[in-house]
Order: sequence, then C-alpha cells, then structure tokens
Amino acid sequence: MTSDGAAPRVALPDPGAVALSALFWKVAPAIPIVGLFALWQILSASGAFNPYLMPEVPAVFRRVALELVNGEFLLNAGATLYRALAGFLIAAALAVTIGIAMARIRIVHWFFDPILSVGFPMPKVAFLPVFMLWFGAYDASKITLIAFASFFAIAVNTVAGTQGVDRHLVWSARSLGASERKILWTVILPAALPQILTGFQIALPLAMIVTIVTEMLMGGVGLGGAMIRAQRFADSIGVFSGIVQIGFTGFVVIFTMRWLRRRLLSWHEEAKR
Amino acid sequence: MATGAAIAVENVSHHYRPPKKRPVHALDQVSLEVGDREFVALLGPSGCGKSTLLYLIGGFMPIESGSIRVNGNLVTGPGPDRGVVFQHFALFPWKTVLGNVLYGLENIGVPREEARERAQKYIDMVHLTGFEDAYPNQLSGGMKQRAAIARTLAIDPDILLMDEPFGALDAQTRGLMQEELLSIWQRTRKTVLFVTHDVREAVYLAERVVMMTARPGRIMESVDTRFDEAGPGVMDRPEFVEKASYIWNRIKGEAIATVAARAS
Repeated sequence: MTSDGAAPRVALPDPGAVALSALFWKVAPAIPIVGLFALWQILSASGAFNPYLMPEVPAVFRRVALELVNGEFLLNAGATLYRALAGFLIAAALAVTIGIAMARIRIVHWFFDPILSVGFPMPKVAFLPVFMLWFGAYDASKITLIAFASFFAIAVNTVAGTQGVDRHLVWSARSLGASERKILWTVILPAALPQILTGFQIALPLAMIVTIVTEMLMGGVGLGGAMIRAQRFADSIGVFSGIVQIGFTGFVVIFTMRWLRRRLLSWHEEAKR
Repeated sequence: MATGAAIAVENVSHHYRPPKKRPVHALDQVSLEVGDREFVALLGPSGCGKSTLLYLIGGFMPIESGSIRVNGNLVTGPGPDRGVVFQHFALFPWKTVLGNVLYGLENIGVPREEARERAQKYIDMVHLTGFEDAYPNQLSGGMKQRAAIARTLAIDPDILLMDEPFGALDAQTRGLMQEELLSIWQRTRKTVLFVTHDVREAVYLAERVVMMTARPGRIMESVDTRFDEAGPGVMDRPEFVEKASYIWNRIKGEAIATVAARAS
C-alpha cells in the first residue's frame, strides 16, 4: 500500500473504537460496585440465607426509590448533611485559624502541640456522653462532637502546610512591599492550601462517620436514626436501604470535595496530572 | 564610610544556628561597597556565604554584628528599594504572570490603570508578551525567571539583588538571559549585586568581581572586569580569557578547600 506514498505506515485506530474505549473507561469505576450488588443478589436469591437477614436487592432498591419519592430520603439526608457540614465548617474555621497561629507564633504552638498529639489518635466518640451532659440530647451535642472529631486532622495538616511554605515566597512578598497581614492572606494561605484541603478531605469522611454514629446512638431524624428505627421495627429492608442511602450520600459529599479541590488548585502542579 | 555608595557593608559576621547542631560560621568580618549604578558580581565556592550576604542586604535575616547601609540608611528589614531575584524564581504559583507582576505595584499603591500599564511594559521588556494570563507551572524555567525579573523591575527598585538567578537554567537559556539582563541593565541602570559561582558569567556581566573565600566567607579580592568591547564576542578576547583564568586560579584553591571540608 505504499504506491501512492500518502498511505500512513502505522494504521490509525478506528475513531469509533477510540470513542467506545473512552466510554468504557468512563463507566469502568462503576463496574466493581455493580458487581458487589450482583454478588449480593446472587447470594440472597440462592436461598442459602434467611431473606430477613439478607433481603433481595430489588426489594431494597424499591424501598430506596419509595423514600426518594415520598421525601423521606431528602428529609433524613438533609438532617444528616446539615449536622455533618455544620460541625465540619465550625471545625474548619477553628482548625485553620489555630493551625496557622501555631505555625507562626511560638507560644500558640507550645500550647496546642501536645493537645493535638494526644487528641489526634483518640477516639473522639468517647466524648459523646460528656457533650450530651453539657449540651443536651439534640443537635447541639451532636454538632459539637462532629466539630471536635473533624478538628484534629485539619489542624495537623494546616500546621504542616503553613510550616512548609517556601521562605523565598514570603521574602519575595516582603521585598515587594507587602504587609505581614497581606502576606498571611495572599502568600501563606494559598501556599498552604493544598495541604489544608488534604486535611479537609480526611476530616469530611470523619464528620460523616461521627454524624451517623451520633444519630444511631441518639435517634431522631437523619440517615443513622432512620436505620436504628428500622432495626427496632425488625424492618430489615429498611436497614439495608439505609446502608445504600448512606453510601450514596457519602459518595456525593466526597466527590464534591474532590471537585472543589480541583477548582481551587487549578494553578497547582497536581492539576496537570 | 564614603558617600555615594549604594550598598555599604561594614564588618558583618553571621552564624547559622540550626537547632541541636553546631552553629555554622557563614560570614566573617565582611566589608563591601557597591557604588551607585554599579554592577558587581559576588563570586565564591558554593557554601561560602555569598547568598547569606545577599539575604542580609535584602533584610531577610537579622544582622548579628556589623552594619549594612543602603543609600545611607541602616538595613532593618526588607523593602521595595531593594528588588530581589531568587535562583528558583519564587513566583506565586497561584497567580498568573500578570498577577505576579501586579502584586508589588498594588502593595506600593500604584493606581489600577497605571499599574496595568507598568506591568505590561515590564512583561514586554522581558519578552513575555502573550503570556500575561499563563500560570508559572505552564512556563519553562527561562520564562519563569523572566517573569520574576519583570515582577522585581516593575516596582522600580534602586538596587537589584540577584541570587544565582540563572543557576537553574540550561546553558543556552542562560546565555540568552545574560544578554537580556545586560540590555535591561543598560536601559534601566540600576545598582546590581549578582551572586554566582560561575567565573565566566561573573566576568562577562559585572563591572567588578568580588571574590569570597570558602566558609567562613571573607572578601578575598576585588577585580575590575570592564572591557572596551561589549557583547558576547568579548569572551573570546585575550584580555577576557586572561582575567577569567586569573580569577579562576584565585578561586580554585577555595573551591578545593570546600570540597575537602565536605569530604572530611
């Protein structure tokens, strides 16, 4: 086929095949999840398990769909998200402020460093009885615990991120006439942002977990509370539909955070990858 | 101290005191004068404290002993009268080229319209026209350093402090940047203190080369390196080769001392 000289030496891939392969890799991450549901369905339909202990997938999804239509899901997910995000945002504001202060002011570091070292690995849920004692059995104690649990990961990452800021960037800003206050907002904070966001990405799932746990322990509206109610009424389909709803809600939260990171760090090297 | 000196360093010593390690004696009784509009290269083996001296003049670190005056005023901190160019550019990666160049202009209170015009003027001067909206991570090393130079020149400092500004660039880019720096210097006529460990670069760019000893850094000798001829062709002239080899021979012993100190 070299007679006309214009024929390519290497066969170009068929554009249709390229599009198909691109489509495949777009949906590829969903395949293992679908596989898990398939396995669940095969096991429950096999009759080896009591259907009360392992209900069939279609029944669970019918329940999810029903609660989506009748507003039950939105109500519960809304309550859960409200608590998780309120606690997370309070933690973020405090932890970023304290973290930056720790990295910049020696006495603040002296005070908070041991507290962070002891508090970071501690199971924060252990403080729930204390907060219930102080703030009652409703949202105040839940949100306090969620904020408390989210605080440490953000603070630790903010300290590390702020300490790691290239001193030449700060020097540049100073010799370009910036005030210390302006340097904090326009140099320290953006330079530490990648690691602060990493702290957020660790803290957000923690906030979700603690929210669900407090809801399960204390009841009321929310995804965790609804699951405990279903369990008390021996409604096993309700329990499993709760798992699916929690999984979905968590996924949306994490995915949004990842999207936010990409938007905020479009200037960063990692955005090229 | 003679008047008219843009930079006057008098008996400056400096120690680095890393936590839990022995202090490092970086500078020992250094005195140096740089005249107004003079281009001086500070040459010495790596680790001899030449960058430390530059940072002290920049006001980035506290002066332990001795004094530094810039245009007659004691240095107590950084200021826009001394523009600094770092080896690794130190551009703000979250700002575009234009944003980086505007940063200093905003700080010194230049009105928005005028700041835009001035920023554009310096972006054009360093041949980055068309890259105003690019982020630093989209630029090559040479382009990054051009952007950093534009950012520093934009606030019109009296003095340029350059810390091995072309050290991170490949040889070809480096040669081009040297040409451009000379042409900018001839147009703007700033006082330049240029730190390098490259003998030919120092002899070619500077009017005067100041040599430093290995650590602790002392001033060893100052050599006039002005030639009748301008342009890169001068590097092949016998008087250039002679000066460069004289300076290299003087500095060689210090470089060997540095390597030996590292090995032991």
